Amino acid sequence: MSRDLVGLKIRALRKERGLLQGELARRAGISPSYLNLIERNKRAVAGGLLDRIAEGLGVQRHLLDEESDRYIVDTLSEITADPLLAEGVGHPGAAVELVGRYPGWAKLMLRLYQAYQDRNQAVMALADRLNRDPFLGESIHRVLTHVTAIRAAAEIIETDDALSPLDRGKFLSIIASDAGRLSETAQGLSNFFDSAQVRIGSATAMEHVDSFILGHQNHFPALEEVAAELRRKVRAHDEPERALERLAPGDAGPRKIENVLPLESRRFARVKNLMKLPAKDAVDALTVKNPILSDEAAKALAASALYSYAAAAYLMPYEEFLEAAESCRYDLDVLSQRFEVSYEQAAHRLATLQRPGASGLRFAFMRSDPSGYVTKRLPLPRLPLPRYGTACPLWVVYSAFQTAGVTVRSFGELPTGEQFFFFARAVEKLPSPPGAPRRLLSIMLACPAEEAQRVSAADGLNRPSAMVSLGTVCRLCPRDCAHRQEAPLIT
Amino acid sequence: MSDRRLLVVEDESNIAEALSYVLRRAGFVVETVSDGDLALQRLQREHFAAVVLDIMIPGTNGFEILRAVRADPALADLPVLVLTARGQAKDRQLAEELGASAFVTKPFSNAEVVERLCAFTGCSQQES
Repeated sequence: MSRDLVGLKIRALRKERGLLQGELARRAGISPSYLNLIERNKRAVAGGLLDRIAEGLGVQRHLLDEESDRYIVDTLSEITADPLLAEGVGHPGAAVELVGRYPGWAKLMLRLYQAYQDRNQAVMALADRLNRDPFLGESIHRVLTHVTAIRAAAEIIETDDALSPLDRGKFLSIIASDAGRLSETAQGLSNFFDSAQVRIGSATAMEHVDSFILGHQNHFPALEEVAAELRRKVRAHDEPERALERLAPGDAGPRKIENVLPLESRRFARVKNLMKLPAKDAVDALTVKNPILSDEAAKALAASALYSYAAAAYLMPYEEFLEAAESCRYDLDVLSQRFEVSYEQAAHRLATLQRPGASGLRFAFMRSDPSGYVTKRLPLPRLPLPRYGTACPLWVVYSAFQTAGVTVRSFGELPTGEQFFFFARAVEKLPSPPGAPRRLLSIMLACPAEEAQRVSAADGLNRPSAMVSLGTVCRLCPRDCAHRQEAPLIT
Repeated sequence: MSDRRLLVVEDESNIAEALSYVLRRAGFVVETVSDGDLALQRLQREHFAAVVLDIMIPGTNGFEILRAVRADPALADLPVLVLTARGQAKDRQLAEELGASAFVTKPFSNAEVVERLCAFTGCSQQES
């Protein structure tokens, strides 16, 4: 698949504005023939030239950046792997062209697909409930049993002319008692359907939030600014959490309930609550009218993620954290100690250091529970992270559960040929009562393999020999693999 | 009249009572049990012309009884009429695979049960 959307988008935007190639080339200070090459993706374009073209088109630069559209391309390509929908669509690579030339139509298709997935999930959940709900199963069994007894007794009374008064009384009493029990069962069923408000949540709310976060490249300058502004007011000897209570007095949340949490999580939760006042305007501006966040569930998820972001930005101020990260080579133990945050909080913060002109190494972030349920993810443009619990078992995010507390690492090559460095650690999110299973979550970071020498976790790992062939989702992976659980959809 | 002796395995007493009445009126000698373990014991010890077997019963369930009956050479040919409230296709399929002679879904008509059992036992239906 071509990686370039920029040329196609420039061409589409230029035509939309009725500009000739010569005119746009003049505005951007290049020759028309060079612009022609750019528009046909024969020449790469970035940096100052992309700025000038954006200016010439009268659009903001980020509208031309391909990464904000990568999610749409990836999802549309995924649709082409769905045999029910994609018959006759042609080459999956056409998704790039569609997004480049007709971005509005591509977004419409994306929304349709997401709505279709939502409904599919809802129908499956409802069907599952009807088939397996123990209350429904038991109630239907009881209804059939009572009806059977009533029918059998009624038939005897109706058809048996020689029925003795005694037997007649006996069967009438069976009818009466089973009719009474049938009424109770029917009432129970009726109450069940009255009270069971089946709330069909958006199955793709998390995807909308993903799309939203990826569209911002995991970086929210407005929240960074709110946090930085507050940090500027923290005096040198002040403890940041205490200072925030003074600077942004608000509800920090209950102390008692949170007391079960480890110290860093408790502190983070309180700072997140305190940020709800100073960061409110910035969060609302990002979420309330955002068309990607199509429903309330998605908006609420996104807002929660953004308040966490603001809390992280406050506890791990951008410049200070970036400098520390680079000097310790992204060592999460060093960073979590220095900023008094958890391993996970430091890992997540690393994945947000994307300020233009002052960005850190770009990481993908993924958090999974032991069943494979993905509870948080920040993908990289060319590293699609599995959405549901059907990921590739070869990812270190899973093997980390075998040695909780220890960092597990590997180089991995996707079927696309892209190579990444992965490292993960299973951490205890909450302390467990004695004898109960430990509540572990695995935290994984990944960066392009060629950047691994900048990361201390990769030290001593030889890239070619530690390279593992892996996929993302079994059914979308074409590999002939000993770990395969599902037949591939595309062969 | 051992060739007209039936065992009705049904834990719902009202259904068992109505079935027994109807079957006795049709000329059968009817014994009833409400528990799977007891049913299996009686089948292995006594002679019956046919069995009416509910699936959802306490103790050994109807499928397991059917499996045990078919595995026992002495009972392999015993006609078994499976009776269940779970009329789902897969239950029916399982009952058939396990060797059920016939399958009646609740709520059934009395006449249907009598007719089936008469067919198994080779008797003509008596006028009630």
